[in-house]
Amino acid sequence: MAEIKASFFIECDELLESLQDGLQLMDDGEADSETVNVVFRAVHSIKGGAGAFGLDDLVKFAHRFETAMDDVRSDKLEATHDVLKLFFQCGDILADLVREARDDSPHDPSSTAQVLNEIDALLGSSAEEEAEEEVEFQPMTLSLDLPGIDADPTPASEPSYTIVFEPENELYNLGNEPLFLLRALRELGDMIVTCETVSLPDLDQLSVETGTMVWTIQLTTSEGEGAIKEVFDFVDGICRLEITENTPPTAYLLPDIDLAPELPPLPMPPAAENLSLEAPSAAAENTFLPPQLPEAQPSPSGPPPATYSKPKQAAPAPVNKPAPKTSGGATTPRATVRVDLHRIDRLVNLVGEIVINQAMLTQSVEEAGLPPNSTVRTGLEEFLQLTRDIQESVMMIRAQPVKSLFQRMSRIVRESSADIGKDVRLKTEGENTEVDKTVIERLADPLTHMIRNAVDHGLESNAEREASGKSATGNVHLTAMHRSGRVVIEVSDDGAGINREKVHQIAVEKGLVPPDLQLTDTEIDNLLFLPGFSTAKEVSNLSGRGVGMDVVRSAIQALGGRISITSERGKGTTFSISLPLTLAVLDGMIISVAKETLVVPLNSILETLTLTPSDLLEFGPETHVVNIRNTFVPLLDLGAELGYREPLSDYSGTVVLLIMQEDGSRAAVVVDAIEDQRQVVIKGLQDSYGRVPGIAAATILGDGKIALILDPVDLITQSSGRTRPSSNLEKIAG
Amino acid sequence: MALRDQLRTIVVDDMSTSRGLITQALEGFGLQQIETAVDGQSALHKIATWPVHLVISDMNMPGMNGLQLLHSLRTTPQTKGVGFLLITGKADREIIEYGKKLGMNNFVKKPFQPDQLRVAIEAIVGRL
Repeated sequence: MAEIKASFFIECDELLESLQDGLQLMDDGEADSETVNVVFRAVHSIKGGAGAFGLDDLVKFAHRFETAMDDVRSDKLEATHDVLKLFFQCGDILADLVREARDDSPHDPSSTAQVLNEIDALLGSSAEEEAEEEVEFQPMTLSLDLPGIDADPTPASEPSYTIVFEPENELYNLGNEPLFLLRALRELGDMIVTCETVSLPDLDQLSVETGTMVWTIQLTTSEGEGAIKEVFDFVDGICRLEITENTPPTAYLLPDIDLAPELPPLPMPPAAENLSLEAPSAAAENTFLPPQLPEAQPSPSGPPPATYSKPKQAAPAPVNKPAPKTSGGATTPRATVRVDLHRIDRLVNLVGEIVINQAMLTQSVEEAGLPPNSTVRTGLEEFLQLTRDIQESVMMIRAQPVKSLFQRMSRIVRESSADIGKDVRLKTEGENTEVDKTVIERLADPLTHMIRNAVDHGLESNAEREASGKSATGNVHLTAMHRSGRVVIEVSDDGAGINREKVHQIAVEKGLVPPDLQLTDTEIDNLLFLPGFSTAKEVSNLSGRGVGMDVVRSAIQALGGRISITSERGKGTTFSISLPLTLAVLDGMIISVAKETLVVPLNSILETLTLTPSDLLEFGPETHVVNIRNTFVPLLDLGAELGYREPLSDYSGTVVLLIMQEDGSRAAVVVDAIEDQRQVVIKGLQDSYGRVPGIAAATILGDGKIALILDPVDLITQSSGRTRPSSNLEKIAG
Repeated sequence: MALRDQLRTIVVDDMSTSRGLITQALEGFGLQQIETAVDGQSALHKIATWPVHLVISDMNMPGMNGLQLLHSLRTTPQTKGVGFLLITGKADREIIEYGKKLGMNNFVKKPFQPDQLRVAIEAIVGRL
């Protein structure tokens, strides 16, 4: 039971997701009746499951929500923007209640009271009034002397047909309307029409001139196949039409029930009075056997294999073959397996070990001096490729679309904008961008803060917006995308932009920067990330506690990410987070500086070059620039920067790595030599050393030695701020 | 051989939690032959190759709802005689009357206890 309950909560998360999606579509005015159905079903299913586990608070709330949704479904209630706003709130509360039920935490009725009152007002009735009438129903006994039942409600059956109708483009081009054909078909008898929309492309790929829908029709008619064909006469040759009579090749025979003589004869219908669904009879209670199967049933929905043994008196073999050895799960459209995250983590760790192992093996082969075409070497090459494939596949298992995260943000926007009385609309893009699960989890807090900031500080009040000629409703955009091996998440608003004079003034007042220091716009923007900086005049409910952006920045950095700001006065502000795709393995360039071996992430290197004297220009004491195809790029001496050695006196002939920075500018990093290029396993340093500026992590090399993985962009930023390498770094490097 | 050893049942519900709960209850009654399907269409496919005595179906499902499944079963000669037990969260007159018309054998209102399900099944097929 506990297992089913756990899977219920997982299912709830999926249902809540489709609920959110559906409501969003409705709010965007892009919903059809099926969307409304999906939303209704989501609430309904949560209620149903909750009922089974006796989660009364959840059931009560879901029930009211469901009633309201049902009214929308049956067109009794119009889903206006205000109604949807309430529904969004209901969805949020439903999510809270699910979480409370999962965590077994107590429910505070006051949190739902207001929304429940609003639903009552909307429906014009309260939960108490909504009593369900008792409907009389006499159960119909089934005679198991099959085929045929004594209480057969249908008249002598007519033949039925399965018709598959797939119009070709030509059919539409000639102005035919499938609906008319279906209507004509209905004249022939009862039918059930299923439209298969699986091959419908996404909206952006939808061609209005191409038909992609297929109809499957179950038709019961005595008119015969000829009459059906007649309906399609006019479209003969411009559609695919399959008509099959629904008679299986051999008779559909149920296995007869064969009872041992000592058992009472069958069937023995109990008196109808016994069937009280509300209060089960005592007899029934006594006969109910608790589940006898062991707790550790492999699949809650899967019967034990023995279930599928053929009954003794089986029907003819071709028809009555044992059922396939799967239960419901396998036929789901999205075949998925739920796996404990720990197992995947173990797999990830093992892959990491393989990568290290492979590096060691490669090193040994190198040292053995085997010829380049030896089988060992070629075998190793394949091993390398396979390792990489495995690593990528494993990472894909861990990857999740950012959708769930984005949905949480839409709630943050709803709540925070309501709190401060601004109208805000959140637009999300790239929700299907996949990111490592851990990254998604650890991104939730910083992103929440950024979204709140955008709503609270970024956007102006409704009146201010209108005064400056903008729409009263502010816009916040949340975007995710893949860009050169990293994930970029952007939070942008169309608010007033950063007031740089004010930011500078506050920074000076707080003693964060010396008053006479001239700062560039970017530098001023970056002041926002300083600890203890807050521009809000009053500490509002949402943000402005002064622990904002610096905490956000360190959270992002802890994920191996970076954050940057761009802002334009009057137009808005964009915060951009760039994150590594995975926290486990990266492609690195192995370099050496002052006899130390270091790793530089390959995706941060634009190119590598050897300097000639003519490339170099001195720009002041210890400051050099490099002329690269007529643009000047600052030079950074890695050895000196990390404190490994004194700056070189002459840089000609040295190897430099050209590094692209976040803002698009470049820097040339001097190293002694490039040793190799390979995958390395990331071993975090955070836990032991905290954050070390310029250093992303460490790794284990093929020879078993430890090498630091650089964060070149951070290193360059540090260096341009003229900060000395921290003592921490020296400690590690030593 | 008791009835519970031979009665073939298919549980149709789009929610895996519900399928799990119903299946577990049925196994608790000692039923030996249980199949599951995630919607009406796949139930029909399954029943075509694995004939059943009893269909236990949820009402609210994507695609075909419980009563549409019932209609489909009743209008197909080979399945018109199977027992049909509807599981529904809402048991209002409209649904029940329509079910009656289509030849629904019995229904159970959600949420239910296993013994309620048992009583409802036994009302159709007799003592398990």
